[in-house]
Amino acid sequence: MNMGIKAKITLAGAALVALGVAAAHAEDKKPISWWYETAAPENQEALEKLLVQPFNAAHPNEELSIDFRGAELDKQLRIAMLSGSGPDIVYTAGPSYVAAMAQAGQLLPLDDYAAKLGWNERILPVFIELGKYNGKLYALPKTYETLGLFYNKTLFDKNGWKAPTTIAEMETLADEMKAKGMVPFAAGNADWRPTNEHYVSIVLNSIAGPDNVYKALKGEIPWTAEPFVKAIDKLNEWWQKGYFGPNYFSLTGEQAFAQIATGQAGMAPTGTWNFQNVPRYFPQNNAEPAFIGFPSAEGVPSPIYALGIGSTFSIANSSENPDGAAEVIDYVFSDKFYGDINTVWQGEWNTPLKDLSKVTIGAEVLPLYGETMKNLADAVGKNQYGYTTWTFLPPATDTYLVSGMEEVWLGKITTAQFLEKLNAAFLEEKAAGKVPAIPAR
Amino acid sequence: MWLYLAPTLVINVVIILIPALLTVGLAFFQWDGLSAPVFVGLGNFVSLWDDRVFWTALENNLIWTAIFLTIPIAMGLLAASMLLIVPRRGSTIFQVVYFLPVIIATAITARVWQGMIYSPVTGIFGWLGKLGLPITNPLSQTSTALFGIATVDLWHWWGFLCVIFFAALRQVPQEQIEAARIEGASFWQMMRYVLLPGIRSTIVLMMVMTVIWSFLVFDFVYILTQGGPAFSSEVLSTLAYRKAFYDLNVGQAAATALVISLFGLVATYFYIRIQQREGV
Repeated sequence: MNMGIKAKITLAGAALVALGVAAAHAEDKKPISWWYETAAPENQEALEKLLVQPFNAAHPNEELSIDFRGAELDKQLRIAMLSGSGPDIVYTAGPSYVAAMAQAGQLLPLDDYAAKLGWNERILPVFIELGKYNGKLYALPKTYETLGLFYNKTLFDKNGWKAPTTIAEMETLADEMKAKGMVPFAAGNADWRPTNEHYVSIVLNSIAGPDNVYKALKGEIPWTAEPFVKAIDKLNEWWQKGYFGPNYFSLTGEQAFAQIATGQAGMAPTGTWNFQNVPRYFPQNNAEPAFIGFPSAEGVPSPIYALGIGSTFSIANSSENPDGAAEVIDYVFSDKFYGDINTVWQGEWNTPLKDLSKVTIGAEVLPLYGETMKNLADAVGKNQYGYTTWTFLPPATDTYLVSGMEEVWLGKITTAQFLEKLNAAFLEEKAAGKVPAIPAR
Repeated sequence: MWLYLAPTLVINVVIILIPALLTVGLAFFQWDGLSAPVFVGLGNFVSLWDDRVFWTALENNLIWTAIFLTIPIAMGLLAASMLLIVPRRGSTIFQVVYFLPVIIATAITARVWQGMIYSPVTGIFGWLGKLGLPITNPLSQTSTALFGIATVDLWHWWGFLCVIFFAALRQVPQEQIEAARIEGASFWQMMRYVLLPGIRSTIVLMMVMTVIWSFLVFDFVYILTQGGPAFSSEVLSTLAYRKAFYDLNVGQAAATALVISLFGLVATYFYIRIQQREGV
């Protein structure tokens, strides 16, 4: 009996010592925290397998952990940053958020890391410029995206249609589709009202032209200028002609995209993030997808790839392990990680690497995706790019644009009234220093 | 006595009073939620006054209040009085059925209506459309969006009122009901002269609370339409939310929140006055 108790005490003691050793071992490792947005379970698993595990294995003194925070990440982050209790790696929804955080001194300048870890050489210069605030680098884009035209190649071949290269060709095609009872543009904003701005971004760049958008962003011409009136009028004309179909406000983005695979809709003017929906809908409908740049109006180079940044990386000023956080960001910008993650998860991890020729994406991935990304990187490298509203407009101007465009479509206001209010909101925010950095063209 | 009050006082001060005072204060500042606030006096209120969307939102809140002051209260009263006639076991089943929507999370109720009822692709409306009975999704039209949302909230809400009214009706003194019955009162006469006067204070309380709740409505609007299309279902709370978290204009959001509170205060004032009168 006595022995029994002794044995138990010894065992318990040994267990405690073992626990202590384990705890001490864990303490050696410096934690790096990263709050991520919503991700499907299989995508969370991919990040764990392709980022967290290899990173921790390669850095025995660091312990990276990713916390999936859901759709409200942005708000949680903002409150946490105010109280100095946020994660080491700050993952924001875009450059306009970065400007406000940098202004408030919540972010660490990354210039030294960029020089030391070679980011300046590896990343497309436009994006380095975009992450700057008052001349210092505060953020790097995690992924960049562009807008273009997806279509169902099988359906086009069957009808003898060719991919449109001008606005006029696209309109003729859309009218033909309508006559056949198809919806010309697969589109829906039931789950994400800002979908409206995808179309505004398309017409601003492909009809008004990126040079005019650049001038307006710089404050050299007002948003009420004639090229913008023409662009918004055109978008309104497409709406009134029924190109967006009867269910725009009822369909989710994914439901709408599925319609081009099934042949209910003809084309989808949307972003490269929809590549992640291609494997889900095209193979089962025996359809082949295609993607081209959106056609441009006369006098505007074609195609113009409007650049958008979905989210950005920064390091918190309050971080206790900024070096570790920088190493994680550095790992994300490696050729290996680009290839690995894009093999299993397309459309969300198009990190702005200058040279994609060394990247290998798994053979099972649609070659169209890799091609599109290479074309895009080349076009940006040659300065042939435009501006998405969600990346380059300040926040209040951008939210007004989303609802204001609906008002134009639904006949509540005119194009002129819409642009006037947009311009007023922009000027107010420009005066308050809320416009993100606009790289020189 | 102070010791006895301390816990609730501390909670109220920390969770309600301080944030409330901060909100009142912020309404007079321009603040993006991150940098230092700048005092702008009544600037935020002037901007709201000039903002067309603010007036749409206010109007929508008033329409919402009118809907919820009438339809669910009438439905609740009618169903509760009918429950009085049904035998005990039957009334319990009905109460459970009526009350069920109240305990389902609003987010789930909203998604069910959006995806399984209103949707032209995945919902009953879409199915009816295929059968040759096309009904438009009310959430997609500027003229009906607000009513589409109100329908969902009504479905979720009226059962609560029904159960409350039923509980109150059962408190009406049995002698009065018996006396009326002996006098040969019809159902409507019973309602008009015995039951409704008997539960008057409950009805008034529910009406006052309805006014307050109607100005706070947020969840169903935000999930179903986010105030759209084209601001047609915007209410003050979604406007405040958008201003705070999308426009990063916390000052104007606070000013909007103050307007919401103002209506709540007016309703509370009337409630307290009625209570005092009844106390006397």
